[in-house]
Amino acid sequence: MKKTYRAISIVASIAMVATALVAGTSAATAAAAKVLTISTDLPLQGSSFDSNDSTNKAIALYLKQINYKAGKYTVKLKIYDNATAAKGGWDDAKCAANAQAHVANKTEVAVMGTYNSGCAKIIVPILNQAPGGAMTMISNANTNPGLTKTWNPGEPDKYYPKGIRNYGRVCTTDDVQGSAAAQYAKSIGVKSVYVLNDTQTYGQGVAQAFTTEAVKQGLTVLSSGAYGEGWDSKQSSYEALFTKIKALKPDMLYVGGIFDNNGGQLVKDKFKVLGDNTVVKFMAPDGFTGYPDFNSMPEADGAILSFAGLSTELLLKNAPNGAGAKFVKAYKATYKKDPVGSYPIYGVAAVQVLLAAIAKSDGTRKGVTNAIFSGSGITIPAASSVLGKALVISTLSGDTLAKDISNASGLDS
Amino acid sequence: MTMNILKRKAKKQKQSASHKKWTIGFLIAAVVIWIFYTYIMGNLPDGPQTVFQNWLPPTTVNEAMVWVICALGLNIVVGYAGLLDLGFVAFWAIGGYSAGWFMSTFFQQANFHFLSPKDVAKQPGIHLTFWVVLGLGGLICAMFGIIIGAPTLRLKSDYLALVTLGFGEIIPQFFTNGENIGGFNLSNGTKGISPVDNISIGPRILGPFDFSWKFAIFVFLTAVMVFISLRLRKGRLGRAWLAIREDELAASMMGVPLMSTKLAAYAVGAFSGGVGGVAFATHVNGVFADRFNFSISIILLAMVVLGGMGNVWGVMVGALLVAWINSTGLPAFGDLVNTTFNTNINFPSYNFLLFGGVLILMMLFKREGMIPESRLKAILHEADDTTSNVGGAH
Repeated sequence: MKKTYRAISIVASIAMVATALVAGTSAATAAAAKVLTISTDLPLQGSSFDSNDSTNKAIALYLKQINYKAGKYTVKLKIYDNATAAKGGWDDAKCAANAQAHVANKTEVAVMGTYNSGCAKIIVPILNQAPGGAMTMISNANTNPGLTKTWNPGEPDKYYPKGIRNYGRVCTTDDVQGSAAAQYAKSIGVKSVYVLNDTQTYGQGVAQAFTTEAVKQGLTVLSSGAYGEGWDSKQSSYEALFTKIKALKPDMLYVGGIFDNNGGQLVKDKFKVLGDNTVVKFMAPDGFTGYPDFNSMPEADGAILSFAGLSTELLLKNAPNGAGAKFVKAYKATYKKDPVGSYPIYGVAAVQVLLAAIAKSDGTRKGVTNAIFSGSGITIPAASSVLGKALVISTLSGDTLAKDISNASGLDS
Repeated sequence: MTMNILKRKAKKQKQSASHKKWTIGFLIAAVVIWIFYTYIMGNLPDGPQTVFQNWLPPTTVNEAMVWVICALGLNIVVGYAGLLDLGFVAFWAIGGYSAGWFMSTFFQQANFHFLSPKDVAKQPGIHLTFWVVLGLGGLICAMFGIIIGAPTLRLKSDYLALVTLGFGEIIPQFFTNGENIGGFNLSNGTKGISPVDNISIGPRILGPFDFSWKFAIFVFLTAVMVFISLRLRKGRLGRAWLAIREDELAASMMGVPLMSTKLAAYAVGAFSGGVGGVAFATHVNGVFADRFNFSISIILLAMVVLGGMGNVWGVMVGALLVAWINSTGLPAFGDLVNTTFNTNINFPSYNFLLFGGVLILMMLFKREGMIPESRLKAILHEADDTTSNVGGAH
């Protein structure tokens, strides 16, 4: 036992000496230098790797282009991965750990992320309670309405325990996208529709918004429930499902979900049973965009896809000489390929918001949060916005106020 | 005869001395880590602090402790009783949802508070204190352990593994689809339940940045699980488990009641899984259905096998190591390599290759694990002396 006591006392004295040694130096380093860190927090493993890796590359390139300057501050990028190999995608424990790491990293003032709304729901409350002031996170891809709007019980207030907002996004939400899709369906002469969802948060959210708006528009919704029928991603065939749907004779099938959830099989079986996309139209949200596998399927010909914003192709078409088009060209010149999907450009847009806020701030987290969520807020003018049009972030909700994003011009066929 | 008894006594004393050493080592390590994260880390200069944040952030340590609690539970089922369980994640899930149900605003229609933290006093929902939910989650899991265990009693080895695998798939799937059970929302589907209430100790509420106190709580829970494991192992039940592990038929012939002994293993193991699940829910501040997939069961099993089946200390070291590699070690190592050699290799994506490789090497050269249980080691090395394949038979 003597030995044990000795060991404990040695450890205790080492600890005390170390505390004394470092206490002196910490005061000197506390005064913030002019180098500030912004970070990205995205899943870099699993099926969304290509898109998120491309987002990180696009942001790195953008920072290089502007010479790492935001007002009087120099900005550095730090990349966080919120996925683990064990999960094969975003990992709730990793999200919690990253949130702590953002707060612990003294030079870090704001975060660009996340890709998955579920991960944002873990990170936002932690950043909200950061000692010394809430830290802001702006997402390029979270489309779940509950993060910023009244949606499920307790949302969104339960994500902001300190009562102040610190989260925003540059893409629109599922409710806007779903309802725009329903309006578009009506405009192309659809009378009846059957709604499917992939049983996940995103798929159900967008399918719910579609269903609500479709009913409002006077379309006949043949599926039952608030968000239609769920398809099980583990099923090997959907022929039985489509045989049932065929008897109801819908004009269109609306598929709320992500292509990764066995969307390929779903599209094949739809073609087999219901016929091609001229016989029964096929409409899906942005969960089906950015997949070369889907685009190359003959069964996908004529499918209608919506995107919560502008797709990169539309961006180039709408404003061929705008800041966005120039940036896409620079990306291609640097990395020898196009950005994957549309989220990388939205990642850069989110960083533009953060940099504008940093330039306007006193270089602290609180300052950056205040710059976005109080006073006149942040507006990125059309001339410099990579989205090809002015980008306004609501100081109240953190949502983007670019209303025209959601209208039918965003629907790409 | 007397010589034999004396020898056995000496061996027992040696074993208990070894446990004492490990216990002291565990407590010292816990105290050192606690002192470090509470008083030292925040005052370190930026350089060393960043190194610690990159290589061993406090949240990773806390998460690893949760893995340890769950792995200790699995160790009772697999390591002690020899019942191969490929679906342990089910208990983690049930524990997690217990926290979601009893420590959040999820059941808006109810309004029940019991010793709940002050900050949620006015919120609807069921709000029990963390400490009650720990026990409750553990007991619900123990009950499910018995329910799951009952149909497997007549099964052995591969067949048993398949049934547990089935349960491990069914329960998380049930939570994923449990949003509308006859109109009742039990699990909130893939949206999950968040946030859950903070842990409170008397009037003190532990916020998201009180990780050193959460660490202390997780260490305490681990210590309780270790204590339970060691005490049971020594007693009549533990010896019965080992007897079943080594030869079920012989054990039953000697009067070991197979049914109750096996069910006890499932119940105690599941209790630990439930406690781990509740702890994890407070760690990530929520519970999400898509966490609970098959790979979690496999990683837990790998922790037990790599560490040393049947040896709590081995399992603990195995769990800490694997959890650390999975969450921080490999990404941090990847960053180091990539910045040093200016490469762009995605190291975490080789995680399973690494695990697979290590498992194969371990099975070839050190089947009994890193810190083996002496009994298992003896059995496995019997196989070296003869040509029989004892290790593969169980």
